[in-house]
Amino acid sequence: MNEFLEQFLIECRELVEQATADLLALEQQPDDNARLDSAFRAFHTLKGAAGIIEFPAMARLLHTAEDVLSSVRAGDQPVTIDLISLCLHCIDQVVQWLDVMEDTGEPPADADAAADRMAARFATDVSEPFLAPASEAGPPAWIAELQARHPKVMALTAIRYTPNAACFFRGEDPLTLMALTPELLALDVSPAQPWPQAEDLDPFACNIVIDGLLGAPAEAVAAHLLTVSDQVQIHALSRSTGGGRLPELSVAVLKAQIAMVLGSAGEGSAGEGLAGRLGSAGRVVRQILAQAGLNTHPVMSALEDSLASANSAALVAAIAAILDPASPTDSGEQDDGEGAGGEGAAPGAHGIAAQALRVDVERIDAIIKLTGELTVVKNALGHAAGIARQGDLDHSLAQTLKDQHALLERLTVELQRSVVAIRVLPLRHVFQRFSRLVREMTVSLGKSARLVIEGESTEADKAVVESLFEPLLHVIRNALDHGVEGRAARLSGGKPETAVIRLQGYREGERVIVEVSDDGGGIDPVVIRRVAAERGLMSPDALAKVADDDLLQLIFAPGFSTATTVTHLSGRGVGMDAVRASIERLGGRVSIRSRKGEGTSIRFVLPFTVMMTRVMIVEAAGQAFGVPFEAVVETLQIPRDQISAVGAAEAFVLRGRTVPLVRLDRTLGLAPSPVRSAEVKAVVTAVGGQLSALEVDGFGERLDVMLKPMDGLLAGMHGVAGTTLLGDGRVLIVLDLPELLQ
Amino acid sequence: MTVRIADDGIILLQGVCAIEDAEALLRHLSAEPGTQVDWSACEHAHTAIIQVLMAVKPKIVGWPTDPFVGKYLTGLFDRSG
Repeated sequence: MNEFLEQFLIECRELVEQATADLLALEQQPDDNARLDSAFRAFHTLKGAAGIIEFPAMARLLHTAEDVLSSVRAGDQPVTIDLISLCLHCIDQVVQWLDVMEDTGEPPADADAAADRMAARFATDVSEPFLAPASEAGPPAWIAELQARHPKVMALTAIRYTPNAACFFRGEDPLTLMALTPELLALDVSPAQPWPQAEDLDPFACNIVIDGLLGAPAEAVAAHLLTVSDQVQIHALSRSTGGGRLPELSVAVLKAQIAMVLGSAGEGSAGEGLAGRLGSAGRVVRQILAQAGLNTHPVMSALEDSLASANSAALVAAIAAILDPASPTDSGEQDDGEGAGGEGAAPGAHGIAAQALRVDVERIDAIIKLTGELTVVKNALGHAAGIARQGDLDHSLAQTLKDQHALLERLTVELQRSVVAIRVLPLRHVFQRFSRLVREMTVSLGKSARLVIEGESTEADKAVVESLFEPLLHVIRNALDHGVEGRAARLSGGKPETAVIRLQGYREGERVIVEVSDDGGGIDPVVIRRVAAERGLMSPDALAKVADDDLLQLIFAPGFSTATTVTHLSGRGVGMDAVRASIERLGGRVSIRSRKGEGTSIRFVLPFTVMMTRVMIVEAAGQAFGVPFEAVVETLQIPRDQISAVGAAEAFVLRGRTVPLVRLDRTLGLAPSPVRSAEVKAVVTAVGGQLSALEVDGFGERLDVMLKPMDGLLAGMHGVAGTTLLGDGRVLIVLDLPELLQ
Repeated sequence: MTVRIADDGIILLQGVCAIEDAEALLRHLSAEPGTQVDWSACEHAHTAIIQVLMAVKPKIVGWPTDPFVGKYLTGLFDRSG
């Protein structure tokens, strides 16, 4: 199975879990809009994933469910138990498909039929079947009319696309979508309803019908039009020439049918199971033949023979004959089929697989080797303990202990590193998804830009890599939407017509840097200053003093957005503050550089792993606390008389900037230490671009710790990121500065 | 401005004409029946824009260079200009 598919399966299972939890919660509390939104998002993302791996049946089914949830969100229908069960059934169906894909590496061949059945249950007004099944009544009249209007066009596929009247509001642009359809040969656009007088025309209600003839096979067209599948009819046209040559995809599906039928025979499952598989294979084959305009009769009669004799041979031979008309029975094909069927028969360890990590065998071997060395150290320590018990203190006990401790230290470090390495993924996992997305975004924005990806094999912790998608998507959308200028503006600015968005990843010591840069219009500090003043993000005095580079960081402040127009791509109220929040949640930092007219670059500085955290130990109220080292700017000792009271709080001036001072013991609700020295010990931290200082009783060492998240009773504790054990057995509480200093 | 009126009264469509421009275009066309449209500087037009041009059928005096429009859509508009 390829890496891409594995990633798809893991993601889908997470989304399925999310959707299920949301639906169940919604059943309990139908008015919980947050759950509703979350369920909708899960369905939406699942649909998108299906689109990316080109599994149209799954996308179509999820689209139907998504529509229903969307109408619930709009208040058009209530949450009912029936509705929840239908959505859950839909999820069950998806899980079944995922199981099959995990076994075979391919979408199940009978998924279309299952998707249709399932979709039909959703509503009485379910949209027309997407890929129209072969109809006994012959092709619809519009196809003949369309072909008559374009007599010279040799097309494989005809489509009728009737965009929903409200489709513009969903961000759809039907003609642009058509312009990009593969091998478009002819296009007719006509009004769906007669055009009204100009004064009665609603410019935002779509009122057109698009008929098209295409040179691409129906499957390719269907894949392209997936996002509007509910509004399109697609018909494969029969070919007058090319006798029986089938598209590649159809050939693959036919082979899969043979494999499926033989697979069931190989397992020796008799009776009902075989009949079901034969029937399902027969249906699929018939549909493929009908779409290709071929005779379905031989296969149908072979199916009857097979069903009557409870033996798959007749049907298999008939399908093989379609695949290779020259040799009616192709035994090689059958062998292949048996192999594939046997592989697919392994029953489910699916639940476990969903939790699994993919690990390079070499990395496991390294850990096994380390375990062996640790055993040696353990034995040596046992020996030393024996010496100690005998009281033979003249013996070089201290030396032995010291040696073994050094060895143990080295092994622990290596073991830690190896364990962390298990959780490592290349950035490619998240980077590769953007090539396609950028293409789609540029088209819908009518801009010209290309994505350049660099350093995609840079590795980072799984949790970091997997959490990068959303913030990156947001930043890249912004770059395309607000950063990159239109063609005319670029040319007049002396830039190449096509903009370049660069997505880079690289290591810098223990950190992973991810950068998105564009060569667009850049950000005008004047605009930032104006907006910041308008929204009261900084006082006028402070604004006047702040340097341009620092000023730019304001775009990460909550509620900041300079976009004057709202497009359907960005501007949905989720600003750069959400990007900052998600990066900081990973223990990272985000910053921006921009030159007006030259471009903008957004930089994420991420920890290589979220498990290892470097902390500085500080003392307060007689206890030790860890401060995440990446937030520490410097430590200071300030004479107490330089601290001034600002209202109820305290502050001091550091290099011309006023820095608020927070007493750590008081903030944590601990008894303050009685002794107040003449000098204040302060740790200056930078959180979200803001400097603030913690007053502590003492500074300690730096330490790399494996952070354990808080659970149980401590889970709700304010301002605490997690705990770890210190060498002397004390628990070290690591502070969550953003929460603490809020 | 992606939709604006030139000094000679012709409506100009320029650059990327997004969906929100459809309303402005329709407003200009309804205000002054018989107004001509020049969209030769239009880089991309949303379906909503094309729909307004199809419905109101103003006289087109300048065509965009976009080959998609040229190949498939010119038949939808008033070509007498």
